Parts: sequence; C-alpha cells; structure tokens
Amino acid sequence: MKKGDVTEKTLSRRGFLKTAGGAAAVAGFAAGGLGFPSQAQAGPDALPKKWDETCDVLVVGSGFAGLAAAIEAKEAGASVMVLEKMPTHGGNSIINGGVMAVVGSDMQEARGIKDSPDLMLADMMKAGLDMNYPELAKMVAYQSKDAYDWCKQHIGVKFTDPKMLLHMGGHTVARSCPTSIYSGSEIVNKELAKFKELGGTVTTRTYLEKLIRHANGRVVGAQIRTGYRFPDAGSGKVKFVKVKKGVVLASGGFSQDVAFRMTQAPNLVAEVNSTNQPGATAEVLKEAFRVGGNPVQVSWIQLGPWASPDEKGFGLAPHFATGPVFSYGIMVDPKTGKRFISELADRKIRADAIIRTGHAAIGISDDEGQKSCGGPPGTVGKLVERGVVKKFDTLEELSKAYDMPYAAVKESVDNYNSYLKTGTDKEFGRYLQPDAKPIEKAPFYAVRLWPKVHHTMGGVQINTSAQVIGLDGKPIEGLYAAGEVAGGVHGAVRLGSVAVVDCLVFGRIAGKSVAKMKAWS
Amino acid sequence: MEHRRKKILKAAFTLSCAFLLIVLGSGLWAAPKLIQSAKGGNCAACHTDQPALSQSHPDTKDMNLEACRACHTRENMDLTGKLPASHMHLLGGVSCEACHGKTNKPEETPMEKCVACHGPTAKLAEKTKDVKPTNPHTSPHYGTELDCNLCHHQHKKSENYCAQCHSFDFKTP
Repeated sequence: MKKGDVTEKTLSRRGFLKTAGGAAAVAGFAAGGLGFPSQAQAGPDALPKKWDETCDVLVVGSGFAGLAAAIEAKEAGASVMVLEKMPTHGGNSIINGGVMAVVGSDMQEARGIKDSPDLMLADMMKAGLDMNYPELAKMVAYQSKDAYDWCKQHIGVKFTDPKMLLHMGGHTVARSCPTSIYSGSEIVNKELAKFKELGGTVTTRTYLEKLIRHANGRVVGAQIRTGYRFPDAGSGKVKFVKVKKGVVLASGGFSQDVAFRMTQAPNLVAEVNSTNQPGATAEVLKEAFRVGGNPVQVSWIQLGPWASPDEKGFGLAPHFATGPVFSYGIMVDPKTGKRFISELADRKIRADAIIRTGHAAIGISDDEGQKSCGGPPGTVGKLVERGVVKKFDTLEELSKAYDMPYAAVKESVDNYNSYLKTGTDKEFGRYLQPDAKPIEKAPFYAVRLWPKVHHTMGGVQINTSAQVIGLDGKPIEGLYAAGEVAGGVHGAVRLGSVAVVDCLVFGRIAGKSVAKMKAWS
Repeated sequence: MEHRRKKILKAAFTLSCAFLLIVLGSGLWAAPKLIQSAKGGNCAACHTDQPALSQSHPDTKDMNLEACRACHTRENMDLTGKLPASHMHLLGGVSCEACHGKTNKPEETPMEKCVACHGPTAKLAEKTKDVKPTNPHTSPHYGTELDCNLCHHQHKKSENYCAQCHSFDFKTP
C-alpha cells in the first residue's frame, strides 16, 4: 500500500485486517504488538512459538474483584492463575477503607432503616449524572445484599456493630457497612484465604505486558513478566501463558498514573496527591484499549473531599471527616468562616467546591460529634497525636488557629444548631442526622480538608456478564473486566462505599462467566 | 527477517558487553565484587576500588559482628541502617551460601529462609510491639506476613515499605 493510498476498502475493518494485518504477520512478531494504534479495530497478535504455561482462566490483579473472580472460576472447576505485579497481594483494595454499600443488610435491619435496590440505584444514577450504564448500575444495586452475604457466610468477613452503619454522602439512607477493622484488607485477606483453601495461589511481581488476540478475534493468551520489579518496565523474565477460557482484567484504576491521568484530565498534575497505592497505574487498561476494548468515560476522575493535606495517602482523616464533620459537624471556608456546600453532597460536588475556594476547607466538630468517628480503635487519638486533627477548648481558639473570623464561625455553628431544632438545613438542604446534637460541647475539633485523586470511574466497556465490549459493539471473546478497570457502573461520580460492592459483584460475575466459556485448544 | 533481527541483537549485545567492560575497567563505575568466599571483616576482598572504611578505622580483617559491637553499640556509632544487611549476616557468620545455596547464579531468597533462622513472624511482632509510632511487624493490611525482603534489603540500603502511604518514621536495619 502506497503512502496516501487510503481507499474505502482499506479503511473498512475487514480490508484493514487483510492488508495491514497480513503485512504484520509477514513482518513477524515485533510488528504484531505495535502496529495498530487508534484504528477502528486492533489487528491480530502473532502467537508465540511456544506457550510456557497453560491455564483456563488468567486473572490480572489480586484486589476485591480479581480474587472474587478467581474464587468463582475455581469453584466452577476452572484452573486459575492470578497475576499481581506488585510485591504484595491486594492492590488498592488492601488499603481501602473497607466500607460496603448494601441494601437490606442485617445492620440496616437492626437499625430499622428502610431501603430498596431501586433507591440505591436512583442514588447512584443521580450522583452519576445519569451517565451510568443503567443495566450495570442495576446489577450492583440489586446484588449488593448477595455480595454482602457471600462476604459474611462464604468467606467469613466480619463487619462492625450495626450502630456503626454509616450514612455516606449522596446516599439517601445509611447503608454503608464498615468491616470490623475499617479496612478492605478484612475482605481481601479472607478472599485470599478462601482462594488458597481451594488450592489457588497469587503470583506476585508478575506483570501483564501484552494480551494476545488471535486473528479469529478471541483473546487466547498473554505475555507476562515474572520476577518483575515495579516500576521497571523491562524487569523480569518474559513468559507466554496460553489461556483456554479467558482473561479477567481486574487491575484497578489509574489514580497514580500521572502521565496517563493528565492525558484525560490535564489539571491533575503530579502535585495533586492521590489516596491510592503506587501501583494504581494504567498499563492494563491501555492494553485493553489496544486489543480493541471500547473506552468509556475515561476522563471522569474522582477526588475525595475528605482527604487531609496534612497526612500521606488516604490516611485516617477520611474517617474523621465522614462522621464527625460531614454527618455531625460542619465544614467552612476559612476565609469567610461560612459553610459553602452541603457536607453530604456527592464527592464531586464537595471536592469541586473546596477546590473552587482555592484553599483547604476546615471541618469542625465537637466532643459529641467526634464519637461518631469510624476507623480502627483510637483513630481520633492518633489523628490528634499526628497533628492532622487539632483539639481546642473553645471555638474562638479554633478559629484563631486557622486564621478564621470567629464571629462568622460562631454564626455558622449557631445556624447549624438551629437547623437541628427545626429539622431543616435552610442554607444547603443537607440531611440532618436524627440523633445529632448541637455543636457546643468542648473540646472542639478541626481538620483541614483538601481533595486527593481517589477513583477513576472510566475504563473499558463491559456488559452485564462482565465481557469486555469492543469498538464494534460486540463482546471480545475471551476477555472480561471487573472493578475499577471497567467503566460505566458509576457514570460521572461514584458514591462512597459503592466501589467495594461493584468490585465484588462484577468480580464474581466475571469469574462465573469466564468459567462457562468453552475452552479452545 | 527473523535471522537478521537476531544478528542485530547479537551485535548489540556484544557491543554493550564491551562497553560495560570498558566502563568497569576504567574505574568510572565499579560496584564491589561479590566474592562469595570472602570473610565478613575482609572489606578489601570485595571493595577493591575504594577502601570501604577510613584509614583511621581499626583493621577489621579478623573481626566478627561481636567485635564490631565492642565499639558500635546501640547508643554509640550504631550500625543500624549503616551497613547493608548482607554484611551483618557475613560478619555474624552467615555465608552467602547459607541463603543462596551453592551456586554461581544466586537467586533471590524467599522469606522462608529468613524465618527458618529468625523464627516465626508472630513472635517478632510481639518483640517489637512497643516500637513507636507503631509496630513495624504487623499491620491491618498484611498482618505479620509482609515479606521481610520488602524492607530489609541485603544488597542495597534497606527501606521503609510503609512509607509509600504512611509517615511512620522507622529506622530500618
């Protein structure tokens, strides 16, 4: 094909595969992986001369979704390999706050809270600006209870006492169930134990370099690197894995991939911190795109409004912000001393509002409010000890410490206290907790809040069977995705505590679907 | 095509080897050799390029870890974090072979080897339960089962793996 010789025929998919794809096959292996950027459909990959290993199901990632898929596939009788590029299992899930949104949990029941899957779905769609794929969001809302029961009964996850059930931003009712230790590790480690009990293993420091998509369209294997040392791209030893049923991508989001996230949201520069582990990068997602997966809403990146600039990563401040500040206290702009947004609005609205002020917001609570702080035992004490949360005898001292106009702060507190009496937040229409007490009991507490990159809603398109959907609108045979790497469940904004349940619901679906796939040979 | 590619690769490999030799030979960059038979106190056996210790340091040739600790106590001139852990091992009488086996191509050492001598991780965590700001040997994430090698490197400076996300100020031996 001469340069400039672009005809309708060569641009059509079939024509493209025949000409360019054919040329690549002749040119040998090197061209196979590189030659097809941004075309309507990726070309076929050259098959290796020899497969080093064989399995039915290859799972990429060992967080909530990956291990849920691995367990389901294994229980359905498939041979399963789980790859983890980092030196430790669990991905971002193992440092996650461990809170799961569930409709109809025993915790809700004990608290007498009425809820329904449709209500949760409506909350998800509202926060998601109706950009959610409704059929995907529906799976999560309708199967949350099933996933919760699976956690409790099948893998032995422990949750807190019902009185600690959380009402998180954007949810109409309290439905967020914390694990006993306020960490996703309670779920991930129990999943891993279950998977091991079934005879499975997670191979750490193993990197997915390339998916191998056959000329017939099916993903048939993968090129991996064992003994990989994050983040050295060339480290480790190349191996080829023949995958007879399918690959499940459960590689998480890309909050820590500054270069890639800036291609989607140029304002998220390196100086914007993230709550995620360093391995939350985009290479597997990009690989899904390269083999023809359809990108969905990739630029919708969530920042957490409960993060403190005075500690690293996710930290402990989110526990303090969620209960004592957002549910039982107030958040003010230090410049004006006034509230500026509903403390229970969804994450995007709150984070955007804080960023618009141009400086960290101040969360305020008192001795009553601090009792609602979640997190591991002693969280408030630890936060105070580390100087992330500060303690004051009077509201005046508190105002002074952050250079805030005391009169305005006092007025904001008084106003909020009066709303508790009437039951209506006249300024921002925030939901007021029925058991909330006025902010008046010393000591008073304060925390600085400045958003951090937390979750990437976008990803590769999937259907309700967790199959990856190609640019042609059809499932890519042998390729599945679940959890943060998949897009569409949350639309524009993910609600707090819905990631865990999303990962578990779709991880399990992916595992069951892939196990049913007919093996090739 | 494939043949030609192989040829190019081969040439490139030979060239880079030659370059490496020149660099090493010229002393521009010379990592210490890892002489497996060297005794722990015999610094010069591996550190051929530059002396590892100052001239005023007593001769270490016949020293073991205990001898080092005659001067280097916890309170005074503490060696913690100063000396790569492999050196501590060697000085303490643990040879290269003890961890890597008898081989010309030493492989990475799995954690089981560490535990075989140092004892179960749960016991270790119990021993360090009062370390501030928090016990480094247990966490809500990994319990006591985080791989020793993630912090305690043997052939390079040890690190504080927790520091990826936390501000714990550990001094890692």
